[in-house]
This record gives sequence, structure tokens and C-alpha cells, in this order.
Amino acid sequence: MSTNEVSRRSFMVRTIIAIFAFIGASLAVMLGGFGIIPALKKREPGWSDAGTVAELVAGQPQERRFSELVKSGWQSEKQERTIWIVKKPDNSVVAYSSSCTHLGCGYRWIAGQQRFACPCHGSLFDINGAVLAGPAPRPLDTLPTRVENNRLLVQYEVFQLGSTAKVRV
Amino acid sequence: MITTIIDWIDERTKIRSIWDLITNRPIPGGASWFYVLGSTLLFIFILQILSGICLALYYVPTPDHAYASVKYIQNEAFFGSLVRGMHHWGASFMMVLIALHMLRVFVFGSYKKPRELVWLLGIGLIGIVFGFAFTGYLLPWDQKAYWATVVGTNVAGTVPVVGGLLVKIMRGGAELGNLTLSRFHAIHTYILPGVLALLAGMHIFLLELAGAGGRWNPARNTPDRTEPLFPHQIFRDSIVILIVFVAIAALAVVLPAGLEPQADPTDTTYNPRPEWYFYFVFQLLRVFEGRFEVIGTFVLPTIAGLLLMLLPFLDRNPERAPSKRTMLMAIAAVTGAGVMGLTIMGSMAPVPSVTAPSVLAGRLLYEKNGCGACHSIHAKGGTIGPELTHVGSKRDRDWLTRHFKDPQALSPGSIMPKVTLPENDVQELTDYMQSLK
Repeated sequence: MSTNEVSRRSFMVRTIIAIFAFIGASLAVMLGGFGIIPALKKREPGWSDAGTVAELVAGQPQERRFSELVKSGWQSEKQERTIWIVKKPDNSVVAYSSSCTHLGCGYRWIAGQQRFACPCHGSLFDINGAVLAGPAPRPLDTLPTRVENNRLLVQYEVFQLGSTAKVRV
Repeated sequence: MITTIIDWIDERTKIRSIWDLITNRPIPGGASWFYVLGSTLLFIFILQILSGICLALYYVPTPDHAYASVKYIQNEAFFGSLVRGMHHWGASFMMVLIALHMLRVFVFGSYKKPRELVWLLGIGLIGIVFGFAFTGYLLPWDQKAYWATVVGTNVAGTVPVVGGLLVKIMRGGAELGNLTLSRFHAIHTYILPGVLALLAGMHIFLLELAGAGGRWNPARNTPDRTEPLFPHQIFRDSIVILIVFVAIAALAVVLPAGLEPQADPTDTTYNPRPEWYFYFVFQLLRVFEGRFEVIGTFVLPTIAGLLLMLLPFLDRNPERAPSKRTMLMAIAAVTGAGVMGLTIMGSMAPVPSVTAPSVLAGRLLYEKNGCGACHSIHAKGGTIGPELTHVGSKRDRDWLTRHFKDPQALSPGSIMPKVTLPENDVQELTDYMQSLK
């Protein structure tokens, strides 16, 4: 092979590599972005009606179910949600996400012991959401609330579990 | 580092010898820009697979949700319009390149012995690609998708004897609906990609076994002119692949794939038009009407398909130079011009003026109830009442309906009798009046 032929050959090889590297990278960006970016979008919480606050008694948490209109990709659908609400002595109302901050199990109120107990790994929380025992890394997650015309409006949110920091997903 | 890894793999797989076998594959007569079409088609197929898989991340194949999910892809998902546009334009490019590829092989006489099987598989691949186009079409479930499939499946219904059965099998039932969408989706995404990959693999493998044809003049296929596939031919392939890739991406941005309103089986005002690569069939159906329709829908396409398939067996003359195959070149030119002519005519076909059924019903009521005794339309009828030729542009719907029910309330002194027909009939009469403009 002459030097001329060698350099011609190496030019062709480099061009081929460059072209397919360019196409591969473009496709990776386009198709990867298309597949991944929408999945990273944060939830857009809206206000949902979680019932009346009239019958709430201070110190007696209540479980509330309501449906939230959730936009999931191309579809808006009603999703059933559960929260715990607690009336404080100063008459303010706090809402807790119903997921244990450890691994997401649904916890319950044990009235006799005045505490929330998680059935999975035994985490215990007091009425203010503070961790009393168990593996839960942070207090119960509070949700934004407001009261209008005696109705409790809640912004349902989902948080990362298992971490000390409360991070919205 | 990389060499060490490849060495390790090579010790266990002999991968280098396989790579050498592929890359050193001899191109008789040397590399050529004429030989880039097959590889470019392979590239587009891979592009369609990748973009298709990505579309499937969001697409839902049910009539309830298909349209909404495509709309989401088109308008909301990140790069959605681009990915869908590339899938759409990739299909069109495939059609153009497949025609050019076939034309190239035809002109070069490359289909002749010993490559008859390669040619046969190529014809099969064309059929598969049309299958892709036809089934992919329905998936967005918009007006175009729905009506093109209504017409497309009915075309299959004109096939003698088994037509009715064919339509039912294609639709998954008597009518086009959710079962049709499910099976078109399954065929488009599960069956055809596998079949295409298999046939394309055999197409390439059999070409390898038979040996590439090279130039049509055997004097130019001498060993000293032979070049290896890599990098000489692949270099040219890559350049064309790059151009095609950029063109597809650019078109996807500049002219995104369309999305019409959601499919509405009750809409009688929609004018269905197929995708451009089906225009020639569409136009054939306009040429052959009535009892000759089957010529356009079945007889001609079947004869054309059979002739294409049998070409290497009908034309067994080893001569490959086009200048010595003038008869065949002429036939090909006429056929090509015919298909192109039909395509262009199809694209320019006028949209017929559509008469909605309620307007027709209103016209019948007008005649049945003797309205023409007093009124005239286009100078036909009586002169006692006002002329109605352009009444649709003078009076609105509400006025017309109220006037039918109580003419004197709106036109004091009018001698027109009250129209005591059922409400639905009054509405149809109004529709007819409104169509007079």
C-alpha cells in the first residue's frame, strides 16, 4: 500500500467513525431525552377538598380519604388519597402524609397509647409527628393546608422516603 | 485497554475473524455511490426501530386513549414532536429509498443469476414495508388514520371470493374499532419488525453467499479494481446515511408529523386522503370505477407483484448492460412514469363537494311537501313566495327554524303556511336552506 493509499484509508476510517459518533450522540440525546426528561418532571400538586373541619376534636387524629385529580402524562384521573389530620390545641389543623417516612407503609393511630404506629418495622410517632422509636429517619411529612368555609383544603404531595431530608418528588 | 478487552473476547469468540470477513468483503469493480442504498435502508430500519420503541413508552393502543397519548407525545413530551416526526419522515424516506434501491438493482441487472433469491427477498421486503406503512397509519387514531383505514380495509374487500373474509380478518371483526387498533398495533410493533429483520438478514446473507454483482460490464469487475467493503464502500454509505439522517431530523423539525382531530366515525364531511406513497393506488381507484374497480384494487397490483417476483426467471439473458436491454428499460420507464404520474394525479385530485345526509334529507322534504309550488331555487319552481337560491347566506339558522314554525311572527302578512312537520324534519329543512348560498 502506498502512503497515499494509507492516508486515504485512514481519512475514510476517521470520517466513518465521526459520522456514526455524531449520529449515535444525536440519537442518544433525542431518544434519551424523550424517554427520561418527562419522567423527571415534578408532580404538580393542586388543592383537594379533604372534608369539613367542624367535627375535629383536638388531640384526636382523623384519617381522611379524598380523591385528587392527578395529571399523569396524557391522562387526568382521580386518585384516592389518604391523609391523617390533627387539630392542635390552638385550633390550627395539621395534615400528615399517610406514608411512613421509613419505607412508605401506611401507619395508624393507636388511641390508647396516643401515638402513630407503623406496622412494617415498628416506627412510632407522637401526635406532632416526631419520631419516638423505630427506623423512621424523619418526622411524619406535613402537607400544605388551608381552611375555607369550614372545609379543609390539602395539597397532596409525595416525598422521597428513607432520607432525613424531606424532599418533594 | 480496549485492545486487551477485545483480545480477551477474541480468544473466546474469534470475533476478529468475523469482523475481517465482513470488512474485507470484496466489492467487484470497486466501491460506488450506486451501492449505498441498501445500507441506508438498513440504517433507516434501525432508526425506525429505535424511534418506534421510544414512541411505545407513551403510546397506548386503545381507541379511548390512543389519540390522547399521541397528542401528549406531539405537544407535551420532551422532544416528542421530534421523535414522532423522525418516525414519520423515516417511513417516507424508506419508501423513496426502497424504490431507488430496486431501480438501481434493476438497471444494473443485479437480480440475474446467481442473485435471484436476493431479489425475491427484496420484493418480500417491499411488501413488509407497505405493511408497516398501512398498519402504522391507524395508530394515532385521528381522522386521517381512521378513514384511511376504513378505505384501505375496504379495498381488501374487493378481492374476489375471499374479500369479505379478508376484511373481517384485517379488522378483527365486522367493523373498524378497538379490535382493529389492537391487531394493527400488534402487527406493526411485534410481528413486522421481526419478519423484516429476518428477511433483511437473509437478503444480506444470501447476497454474501451469491456474491455482489458489481458493475454491469464484466470487463470492469476485474480483481485489480476490487475494493474491500470497509472502509471504501462503508465510507460512501456513511456520507449518504449522514445526509439522510440530517434530512429526516430537519424535516421532523420543520414539518412535524400531522395530527388531525380525533377519529369520528360519524363525521360525513371528512375527505379521506392517504399518505403520499399510497396516492398511486388511490388514483387507480379513481380510474377504475364500478365493476372495473377490482382491476385497480386487485388485478393490477397482483400482476405487478407477480411480474416483479418473476423478473429474474422471465429475464434469464445474462446480459446486464442497460444499453442492450432496451426493451426492459422502456417497460421500466413506462411503469415508473405511470406510478409517478398516478402519484402526482392523486396528490392533485379535487376534493368533492360534500353533501351532508341531513341536507339531502331536507331536499327530499322540500320536494315531498311541495315547497317548490311557491318558491324557486335556481330558477325552478313557483313565484308566489320569495326565491330561495341564496337564502342560506341571507338568513341564519335560528331565523329559519322559527320562521318555519310561525312565518307570520317573523314576516307579518306572509301567506306561507306553518310547517307542522316533526322537529327533526324542520331541522333537516333548515340544513337544506342553510346549504343554499
